[in-house]
Amino acid sequence: MAAGTAPRRADASGAARLPDTARRRIATERLASVAIRAGGLAVILAITGIFAFLVVEILPVLLPARVALAHDAALAGVVPRALLLDEYRTHDAALGRDGVVRVVRLEDGAVRAEQALADDFVAVAGDAEHSVLAGVARDGRIAAAPVAFTASFEEQRRVVTPSIGAPIELALFDDAAAAPAVAGPLAVRAGGDAQAGAAALAGGGVALVQRRSERNAFTGETTESLERRVLATPAPVTALALDPKQEQLYAGTADGRLLRFDLRAGVAEPESVDAGGAAISALSLLIGGRTLVVGQADGALSSWFTVPQENGPARLTRTRDYPSYPGAVRAIAPSQRDRAFLVAADDGTLGFQYSTSGRTLWRGDSPLGPATALALAPKGDGGAIAAEGRLASLDVRASHPELSLGSLFGKVWYEGAPRPEYVWQSSSGDDAFEPKLSLVPLVVGTLKGTFYALLLAVPLGVLGAMYTSQFMHARLQRWVKPGVEIMAALPSVVLGFLAALWLAPRVERLFSAFLAMGVAIPVAAIAGGWLWSRLPKRWVARVPDGTEVLWIGVAIAAAMALCVSLSAPLERALFGGSFPAWLETSTGLPFDQRNAVVVGIAMGFAVIPIIFAISEDAFSNVPADLSAGSLALGANRWQTVVRVVLPTASPGIFSAIMVGFGRAVGETMIVLMATGNTPILDWSPFNGFRTLSANIAVEIPEAPHGGTLYRTLFLAALLLFAMTFAVNTAAELVRHRLRRRYGRL
Amino acid sequence: MTTRTPRRLDLSALFTWLTGAALALDLLLIVGLLVLVAVRGAGALWPHPVWSLGLADGTRVLGEIHSREPIPDAETGRLGDAGRIRVRIGNRDVSGLDFRWIDETQVTSRETPRDAVLVERLEWGPFFGFPAEIRTRAGVVASGPDSVWTAFGPLHDAKVALRERLRDVERGAIGDVNHEIERVRLAERRLEREAPPEPARSERAAALAARRAELEARYETHLAELRALREELADGELVLTTADGAQHAIPLGQIVRASQPNALGLGGKLSLYADRIAEFVGGQPREANTEGGIFPALFGTVMMVFLMSLFVVPFGVVAAIYLREYAREGFVTRAIRIAVNNLAGVPSIVFGVFGLGFFVYGVGGSIDRLFFADALPTPTFGTGGILWASLTLSLLTVPVVIVATEEGLAAVPQAVRQGSRALGATHFETLRRVVIPAAAPGMLTGLILAMARAAGEVAPLMIVGMVKLAPTLPIDHHPPFVHLERKFMHLGFHIYDVGFQSPNVEAAAPLVFATTALLIAIVVSLNLTAIVLRNRLRRQLAGRGV
Repeated sequence: MAAGTAPRRADASGAARLPDTARRRIATERLASVAIRAGGLAVILAITGIFAFLVVEILPVLLPARVALAHDAALAGVVPRALLLDEYRTHDAALGRDGVVRVVRLEDGAVRAEQALADDFVAVAGDAEHSVLAGVARDGRIAAAPVAFTASFEEQRRVVTPSIGAPIELALFDDAAAAPAVAGPLAVRAGGDAQAGAAALAGGGVALVQRRSERNAFTGETTESLERRVLATPAPVTALALDPKQEQLYAGTADGRLLRFDLRAGVAEPESVDAGGAAISALSLLIGGRTLVVGQADGALSSWFTVPQENGPARLTRTRDYPSYPGAVRAIAPSQRDRAFLVAADDGTLGFQYSTSGRTLWRGDSPLGPATALALAPKGDGGAIAAEGRLASLDVRASHPELSLGSLFGKVWYEGAPRPEYVWQSSSGDDAFEPKLSLVPLVVGTLKGTFYALLLAVPLGVLGAMYTSQFMHARLQRWVKPGVEIMAALPSVVLGFLAALWLAPRVERLFSAFLAMGVAIPVAAIAGGWLWSRLPKRWVARVPDGTEVLWIGVAIAAAMALCVSLSAPLERALFGGSFPAWLETSTGLPFDQRNAVVVGIAMGFAVIPIIFAISEDAFSNVPADLSAGSLALGANRWQTVVRVVLPTASPGIFSAIMVGFGRAVGETMIVLMATGNTPILDWSPFNGFRTLSANIAVEIPEAPHGGTLYRTLFLAALLLFAMTFAVNTAAELVRHRLRRRYGRL
Repeated sequence: MTTRTPRRLDLSALFTWLTGAALALDLLLIVGLLVLVAVRGAGALWPHPVWSLGLADGTRVLGEIHSREPIPDAETGRLGDAGRIRVRIGNRDVSGLDFRWIDETQVTSRETPRDAVLVERLEWGPFFGFPAEIRTRAGVVASGPDSVWTAFGPLHDAKVALRERLRDVERGAIGDVNHEIERVRLAERRLEREAPPEPARSERAAALAARRAELEARYETHLAELRALREELADGELVLTTADGAQHAIPLGQIVRASQPNALGLGGKLSLYADRIAEFVGGQPREANTEGGIFPALFGTVMMVFLMSLFVVPFGVVAAIYLREYAREGFVTRAIRIAVNNLAGVPSIVFGVFGLGFFVYGVGGSIDRLFFADALPTPTFGTGGILWASLTLSLLTVPVVIVATEEGLAAVPQAVRQGSRALGATHFETLRRVVIPAAAPGMLTGLILAMARAAGEVAPLMIVGMVKLAPTLPIDHHPPFVHLERKFMHLGFHIYDVGFQSPNVEAAAPLVFATTALLIAIVVSLNLTAIVLRNRLRRQLAGRGV
């Protein structure tokens, strides 16, 4: 059709114009060129995009934390000393020594609710967990006001209405008139059925009151118990903190000592620890009530918790130091979500810290100058700060504060652990759980599996390739190479399944047989080879080179069968009947059925064909002239192989091992199925481990999109990507160079 | 000199044999694995004799002997003649376990009674016993082993047909109604969201309500039909006498297949074997995947691989053509080639992570917000599915296609290209008419290798859409017929799941071996095809003397 129309057009418009077909051909040519270029580049970009995407998903981890002023309101004539903030960060509740609780709307500074608790307080405190502000009067009477914020929706807009509930009264002393003078500080926990207050006395010591009401589930009766105590202290108390269970009272003294009173044990001597130097100026317990953050008058800031001791009771131990503040630490406000806390110092410095990672997320000047009180919003996304006559709310944002290089790759001293360690434990049922995200056990697990796999695969792969390329007839090679290729194609899920359900029980039962095979197989090979060489030359000459491998295979198979059948007596002779039991008693190492030996064999199986194929390539690429020259000079076949071919091919073999390493590092299904997936840090070949890849497979389906665990797993993926990509590129470059060098010969 | 030469020769021969041993061990491993899987896989469905064992304590045990292991002598540790056997006794609802180890010294008699029956059931696994009678509501239909066995056949066939009708109603008619009701629900939500002005709104609402009422009425009629069918299915039971003499009734409707393996000749065994294989390949899974067939997994694997091929071929081929025919050879091309090569070595789980983050949460989440807002918060595309799985796998396998296609393109001699150009063909025409047809075997090789890799890959799919049990196939008769957002089952995951997560791993192991054998057969045959094709290509390359 095109041929028919073209001449007519040419007649009509003159000879200068190209025929239609030609124009169409040129257009097609240009279009195809553009499309193929664009398509090709797009595919290549998409491939690099994978790397970029992984990086992008991790980037939020690096975002700096931010603490910024959101609203600022005046509160004339009042010095707030305790603060609360609602969930939506619309209102601040403040209490000062004047005894009046005021709830201020931050938008406009309007006081939305107000209630007087007393004429005068000597000390005030807040309990953010129960949304309570409390104060203590000189005579020891404590008044605590619960502040509630109710959210409702009016015309699609959220309206928060604050209300102050009936005050809870607690008295430190029976008889207020005869009570010793109370000086402060004060610590209060005011839950629904258990309340406790503690305050320092002017004459030294701490007065404590605890009220518990217990409801009998059967009778419905409630019994109330009230207990008052005065605890002696060696020095004046300057800071107090009560744990959420109201079982521990922590006190800091003017001479820089920390006291821990165990309230369950009645009145007992407190545990006393020297915090070094300056007076303790602020104390606060983080979520879970185990980590105590200690601020001192010289600006020192540290974390403490009780650490179990090998002999004797647990001791309060200084576990983490933060960079010092320029002024005395005045207030510490813990988050109710995680282990972050706000810190205010006397000189007007404000800081945002995180306990597990030890990170200083942000540090800067307080918008109001030296702060008198601090609070963090219930969701941890905002804060409140107060100074003389002023209130302010802060926007607080920290993305993934629990991650730092130190917490990912270093030893971290987790709450309750006896010493700093590497642990991976990403989640637990408890809200107050401290996530342990050390990648070290996973990296070690990855390397451990890879090591045992290569231990098997390198000799078998390299030597097998050497034999195939150097000693075998080409006709047989044509069968061996595709066979090994099939081996490479076997799905790893199949290898994992066989390793875990078929091999693992056999390794456990026949361990000594496997051990014996290590000796028996080479011996059988040599014996088989020797017998072969004794055969009459007439027979041997008829079969092609390399057929003896089949003969050796038979010998090996026989040796393996012999080992298996002798395993029981061997096991008895070597290990007293059972290897796992022997291992346990004589070395104390546990024996897991799914262990590194099993993984080593299965993953070795997966890696052998890769090492084989690349090594075979390297051997075959050695120019024939070189070995021919060597043979011509009188060297025998073996000498030629070892002295000439092997050195020439060694970069290629190195690259084969690298690629095999890369494959073993990233292998997922085999380790997922054939190890117990316990993230322990141990090099023993007889227990399980967890690798980076298996860890991703296990945990990412449960990781909330965008959460810290999600990003950590992306980081693990990036680590795998980078590791294998680097190793493979190095191997590829080595191979390229090798090919170029010998290509010319 | 002359005295040393023989010794050195010996030593070198010795090392040669050692390298030979390495190769022999490699080959032994691969052959051993293939034989193991083939034997275990093929044997999993073969009818075994049913043994009746008399034990020393006077009890009898009926079941299949699965394996025997020697017991080491307590004194010497030597393996003697003493051993114990593992007997599959079935009857899980009666005995509580599937397998039992029996010390051989305890066995006083062994026989294979001809009338022993193996009943494969929909629930509770196999049952071993002797036929006693068949009862229906009308009364006893047959009693005594022989008459029961002759009466059983036609009765069972009727029940099988009934079960099929039941399934048709459940899956077909009721499934359709449910599908329609879901559409009405979504339309109602859309109406709520769009909130059109008043008259239109109530009109549409009324239409929807009428439609819903009609559908619910239809649902009720189907439900009644279903109830009647179930009633009919529940009628009739086969009473078997167990080894210890107790009688146990099995509803006829629950029986998948009953056979008397001991009475079967080779032909009978073969036909039973064929029947089981047919069920295995074409049937639905039962009992948490540990019994029945693997059809959904096979279908899911094939469809996923097919979808992946749709993506991977154009992209891989275009990239290879660009690299080989358009891009100028130089540092950049070399760098790209190395990168592409190495991408094949990047762990597959990394691609899975990418697929989850990019396709599922990124692209899928956006599609949901734009087009499936009515169904939210239930994700449509924003969760793992067959589309995302095949896209992820196509990224994983694209290097394979690129490398093979490049090899194919390189095999086309320059002279052929120059000839075509000399005759006046443009670059693209040369490519389309001359080069690509000549390089087709290379592309095909790449595609086949990619398919083999994809069929066996599990780790990345576990996080982008593979599930233990998918209620529906990704293709059905509801428009738009192909449901790319659906989750799917996969042979590899089936192996992992049944072998490791099922409550009764021991009983499921034979089925897993059968699945493994099937998967290996698929992967190996794909690879062999690729190898043959590639060899032909290489011969061609050598023949043309480039």
